[in-house]
Amino acid sequence: MEEYIVSLDNLKKIADELLNNHCRVIGTTSENKFKELNYAEELVLNPGAVPTSSSFKEFFFPKTEPLFFYKQNHSNVDLFNPIQDKSKIVIIGAKPCDAASLPIISKVFNWDYKDDLFNSRYDNSLIIGMSCHYSDEFCFCNDLGSSPENMKGSDVFLKPLADNYFKVVSVTPKGAEFINEYQKYFEKDLGKNKSLERKEENPKHFDYDKVKTWLDNNFENKFWDTAGEMCLGCAQCAFVCPTCHCFDIVDEQNGSCAGRRAKNWDACQFSLFTKHASGHNPRDNQEKRYRQRISHKFKYYMDKFDEVLCTGCGRCSRGCPVSLDILQIVEEINSLSGNSNSIQ
Amino acid sequence: MNELKQICKEALTEKKARFIIAYREDKNKKTKPFIARTPEDAEQIIFNHQAVNNLAVYFPRFKNSGEGKIGIVVKSCDLKAVTALIQENQIKRDDLFIIGVNCSGVVRDTTMEFSNDNTQIKCKYCQAKTPPYYDELAEESKEFEMPDDDQAELMARIEKMSSDERLEFWSAEFEKCIKCYACRQVCPMCYCEKCIVEKSEPQWIDTSSTARGNFSWNIIRAFHMAGRCIGCHECERACPMDIPLTLLTRKMGMVASSEFGYRHGMSLTEPALIGTYSTSDKEDFIK
Repeated sequence: MEEYIVSLDNLKKIADELLNNHCRVIGTTSENKFKELNYAEELVLNPGAVPTSSSFKEFFFPKTEPLFFYKQNHSNVDLFNPIQDKSKIVIIGAKPCDAASLPIISKVFNWDYKDDLFNSRYDNSLIIGMSCHYSDEFCFCNDLGSSPENMKGSDVFLKPLADNYFKVVSVTPKGAEFINEYQKYFEKDLGKNKSLERKEENPKHFDYDKVKTWLDNNFENKFWDTAGEMCLGCAQCAFVCPTCHCFDIVDEQNGSCAGRRAKNWDACQFSLFTKHASGHNPRDNQEKRYRQRISHKFKYYMDKFDEVLCTGCGRCSRGCPVSLDILQIVEEINSLSGNSNSIQ
Repeated sequence: MNELKQICKEALTEKKARFIIAYREDKNKKTKPFIARTPEDAEQIIFNHQAVNNLAVYFPRFKNSGEGKIGIVVKSCDLKAVTALIQENQIKRDDLFIIGVNCSGVVRDTTMEFSNDNTQIKCKYCQAKTPPYYDELAEESKEFEMPDDDQAELMARIEKMSSDERLEFWSAEFEKCIKCYACRQVCPMCYCEKCIVEKSEPQWIDTSSTARGNFSWNIIRAFHMAGRCIGCHECERACPMDIPLTLLTRKMGMVASSEFGYRHGMSLTEPALIGTYSTSDKEDFIK
């Protein structure tokens, strides 16, 4: 198979064509945020940048979206479907910890109920991933079977070369089709451009299997009494997370006889999240809610969907107002698991 | 720093406090809140320029959690929140063991070293590096260079705007809101057991992150903070979407000060502005 490289300028030309073809092009900007680009020049690709403060999940699973609108019509109620933007979504420059999130959350959106809203966007998308040359004390992708070069979730993968060039890897048939379609912008790789390697390997922090086994056996462990006690119960962690996918369904009135039903982001750290209509709340304190967050990510999702609900991007920890660090919590569990698996 | 540890250790040994809400450093040298319950725990207690959190936010969770005083390490700015909570009858002075620290300024960006460029604006207006009252006092005060008030310029610019321009400015800012409620959760003055956004019968405020929902939430929070904000700037620091929330609360505080000569959290005996009426209050806004 032919190997290709592409220049940053040509990537921007591709972005331009996509925009002209009414695609929604999402890329990172000079502010290091994922943004729906208005023009290709806004695109900035920096493999050495810290992961953006928010993930790109909002482009597949928006923070709020209408399910339907209603309007009272005498004694009847008329329902209206929202107009859906069916444009193709192209993400350019996703880090491996971003790209990997989509196949992970796709499982929950296609488990019993098929979520058309998510699927219509995900099925009609193309993810161009890029190797990551960043690492800090919050990163732990390689503890979860991934790596800064992992192509999970990407259709096309870029590896940085010298002089603003990228080596192009076609990962999926969708990716191959894309490279074929924009062939004129890709050049044959003659091996002239030096590849830019990561400076250092990421350290390994914990053994996931040990962590999982501990979680399987220690729902009542006293570790949970203090693990999340400083958590303030906001949803910063969940809302910037690429894999947190919980939502709430609400009816909202607009005027006296009309309104909409909407699907909004929700988070397990909110006290209302599990509050029953009776007033009973099975997770009645922050410690229990924090245990839920860790258990859902590292145990329940694995039990049900054979995936860890975390890509190790570290966003939740970087942004936490009280510096709760998910990696340090999992490391503590890892060290606890070395001692015993029994319930204390 | 040893002095602070010593004070906390003694307080826990002699049961002057049943636990102390304080700061510790984690293994990555990140300063974060924690609860010291034993004299051994107190060994971890530290205070530095990275001690940004206003620890008074933890009172509601612990106030009815057992016998004995709650210990807390406070900077001068955080003490205003403690005072305000006492003024608003949320907690009693006698239930607290206050360990004041002489503060030499805290950082704006916790990922960077303390410097003149990386100092919170509130430090510029801090009137007391030493908390005005306490049960014990620790740390030596160091002089530091005052930061520039880069917010004042923006505030002046907004004041000059027409109401349409202002609406445009705030609409663009609030559009970013994702309703994570980090602003509410880090705020020591946001202690309602049930926030108005959680009241669903009827639903007063749209919970959706739509233009309307975001505007309603941010404006109602600003109103509820009118004359109550003590200026710790935690809301703005916590906001993952970088909304300049303290522009609103700070402006409201300035209005409370200029119109009523009142600043919240400054006196244990003065009744809170929002709960009092004075015959000298201006009435010219009633038209």
